[in-house]
Amino acid sequence: MARLGSGSIERVGEDGPHIPTWHVPVTGATARPLPAIVPGLRPRPRWRELQLLGLVAVALFVGSVSLGATVRARAAAAADAPLPDGALAPHDLTALLVYLGVLLAAHVIQVMAGRRTDQVLLPAVGLLGGLSLLLMQRLPQSLAGQLGGLAQTQLVWLVLAFAVITLLAVGVRSDSWLRLYKYTWAAVGVGLLVLTFAFGRDVNGARLTLDLGPISGQPSELLKVILVVFLAGYLSEFRPLLVEQSTRLGPLRLPPLPYLAPMVAMWAIALGIVVIQRDLGAALLFFAVFLTLLYVATARASYVVIGLGLFVAGSAVMYRLFGHVAQRVDIWLDPFVDPQGAGYQVVQALYAFGRGGILGTGLGNGLPTVGGRLPIPEIHTDFPLAALGEELGLIGVLAILGLYLVVIERGLRIAASAADDFRALLAAGLSLVVGVQAFIIAAGNLKLIPLTGITLPFISYGGSSLLANALVVGLLLALSDRAVEPPPPRPPRSRLARIVDRGAR
Amino acid sequence: MDFFVLALWLLRLAFLAVLYLFLYTVVRALLRDLRAAAREPGAELGRLVVVASTGDPPPGSVFALDAVTTIGRDVNNTVVIDDPFASGDHAALTFRGRAWYVEDLGSTNGTYVNGSPVEGVAPLGFGDEIQVGQARFRLDRARR
Repeated sequence: MARLGSGSIERVGEDGPHIPTWHVPVTGATARPLPAIVPGLRPRPRWRELQLLGLVAVALFVGSVSLGATVRARAAAAADAPLPDGALAPHDLTALLVYLGVLLAAHVIQVMAGRRTDQVLLPAVGLLGGLSLLLMQRLPQSLAGQLGGLAQTQLVWLVLAFAVITLLAVGVRSDSWLRLYKYTWAAVGVGLLVLTFAFGRDVNGARLTLDLGPISGQPSELLKVILVVFLAGYLSEFRPLLVEQSTRLGPLRLPPLPYLAPMVAMWAIALGIVVIQRDLGAALLFFAVFLTLLYVATARASYVVIGLGLFVAGSAVMYRLFGHVAQRVDIWLDPFVDPQGAGYQVVQALYAFGRGGILGTGLGNGLPTVGGRLPIPEIHTDFPLAALGEELGLIGVLAILGLYLVVIERGLRIAASAADDFRALLAAGLSLVVGVQAFIIAAGNLKLIPLTGITLPFISYGGSSLLANALVVGLLLALSDRAVEPPPPRPPRSRLARIVDRGAR
Repeated sequence: MDFFVLALWLLRLAFLAVLYLFLYTVVRALLRDLRAAAREPGAELGRLVVVASTGDPPPGSVFALDAVTTIGRDVNNTVVIDDPFASGDHAALTFRGRAWYVEDLGSTNGTYVNGSPVEGVAPLGFGDEIQVGQARFRLDRARR
């Protein structure tokens, strides 16, 4: 507990005695803890979370019934047979119950652990994951070969993702393992990048997948979490220097040049990812997150302006030099130049949104079921928003974007009430990484920006993406607990100051 | 069959409605949360840590900050510093809306933020250092 200075808290013109803040109960503490069942275990009810999870269950049940009824009616119409009895039933009750059971288990475990963590994140992510499950159930199951089809594989990944979220939310009691080893984490990230480059497997012209024995994954998903951890550590340490000093260049007040070096390095890494791995999405995501975090840390628009300038210059050069970049941009500018070839994916996605209209065609009623042929290639990883846009319409897409906004709002709120800079930057960065990724791929699907092949968080099919985003949500939940041990005191400014300190003691 | 089509149509709309019901519930909860945080009674708005000083208060002291905090040698200030280089009414820290500002109250030796002198009113960020006389303070986030 901090020591108060002598005569420090005399307030003028205030009625009543001054109450130091640490005697005021933290918000959300109104609910009394349940009696301890096992000594050492203090359950704490989470009514808000339970209420929201109930709504999630209702929503997914209704959605599943809607999907099941549509699929059965279409099958009956195709076979010219009468509608079977009990057509108004969930599409796959077992999978739905397994998924809802996992959500409930995550809730119960958090209640038992008795931490005061955020109660909105889990239901919001649970609803996004449930939409993903419904979507995977209605797409052709042959899209993924393992474990008996697309939906089942996705269900397994979702279960693992919620296991990760719960584990982190309950288990992480300190952030020092992230705070103290930022350069180690950065080294791990660079190592992953090099490994992928050296031993990676080419899929669709991009070298993203790394095989480790039987497990294969996309390291760039993990890399984004590592990047945020490193940036939060670096920026919270050098924030005073980045804010205070400036280099004057004529009328311009530029940031201090030595501290621009990591920024330039970051820019080079992003360009390197584009050139070597041919992964435009990851490069865009990394650079956008980097710039926003820099702005969050310093509140100086000049960094953003310089960063955007670098981005535009880099993009222009890339466009001239590399065919795959130029192709993406050309498709974006006018996909109808080659609607059956290069522009096919984007054109079909636009048609899908158009067919959906405002209310959508209804779950299971979109085009992908026709003849079992996919109108949009890679719909389960790159275009889930187009599929949902067709079946749920504009209203449904807006609701999904609203869910992402809720996740971002919670993250920024956790950042705003964080106890110190590192946690604030970490929470802001983690929520922004999800938000920016959702924006990049959603805007790509809608032809707002050139399409890049990254996943829609929590909805796209794929283990790497789900687990990495689960890592993000789990960390956010852990950070939202204000009772986490207090951060360590600030280190002295210089080595000299440290020596002087030691001498004084 | 007609009943089935109607039921299916209602189900589709019900699904979208429940999605929005979820969003509505969440947003209402978030708003309540924000309002509660805004009027939390007695919450400190920031804290002032003494980084270096020659007399009272000793380095390491922490002051919980109100919306208006005055610093100076005069005993009527919120933060009284025993420093020959500080003026009687030296500087004032004010929290206006969402941000902190420091104002020099016409002191003899001036007030400095991160080493540069304050002319009139200057904005302050958490982590900034304020120098009054020989004493240096740091503005920190409130502990919640």
